[in-house]
Amino acid sequence: MSDRVYEILFIADPNLGEPEVDTLTAHIQGYAEKEGGRIQKVEKWGKKRLAYNIRKHQEGYYVLIVVEAKPSLVKEVERRIRVTDGVVKFITVRVDEELRKAESRRAARAKVEAKRKRPATPRPSPAEGEEVPL
Amino acid sequence: MSFGGGGGGGRGGRGGRDAKGGGARGGQKDAGKRYFFRRRKVCKFCADKIDYVDYKDVKLLSAFVPERGKVLPRRMFGTCAEHQRKLTLAIKRARNIALLPFAAE
Repeated sequence: MSDRVYEILFIADPNLGEPEVDTLTAHIQGYAEKEGGRIQKVEKWGKKRLAYNIRKHQEGYYVLIVVEAKPSLVKEVERRIRVTDGVVKFITVRVDEELRKAESRRAARAKVEAKRKRPATPRPSPAEGEEVPL
Repeated sequence: MSFGGGGGGGRGGRGGRDAKGGGARGGQKDAGKRYFFRRRKVCKFCADKIDYVDYKDVKLLSAFVPERGKVLPRRMFGTCAEHQRKLTLAIKRARNIALLPFAAE
């Protein structure tokens, strides 16, 4: 079974400083790596206003981690995040299937477009060929 | 019941025409007359070729969520069924992580 791609998006306590958020992110990355996950991307979005208050916080520090791993990773990493201080809220979303579908749809569209263009292309090229002697 | 109930002169007559073989054309013409123009809404996701509706894309999602924070029906934005489904899921995910509100304060 091939590995899946998960996005772990978490909100860190806004009262933490930048270095503290970095260490927190490193910790969570460590959890994921320990479970055999391969980190694909880490994105820090910075402080953002929350759409609603969570644990009396009005803003939060968003960090996104994209990891490729086995399904068993999610359970363990989520358990660890829950007991980690400084994480206000988090969400884990599986994205590989959706992205793959999107990719195949894009490929199909490109194919259709190429087909639509192909009958048109041979026609202009002889015309160009005629124009050159002229 | 329905035949008896719709006993108005005009309606009864039309029903009779429909019952005949050639009456179908007349019926279509009638429908054509009653047609009124309304600009056809096109699904934004189809038009912009967005295959994956990302819950992280607040800018995109907020265009489909009114102030109150509700998910609006398809008829409001003209999104196609497939994309409406994906949009709804994306909005729900975004709400979970406080990118979008559940309800306005």
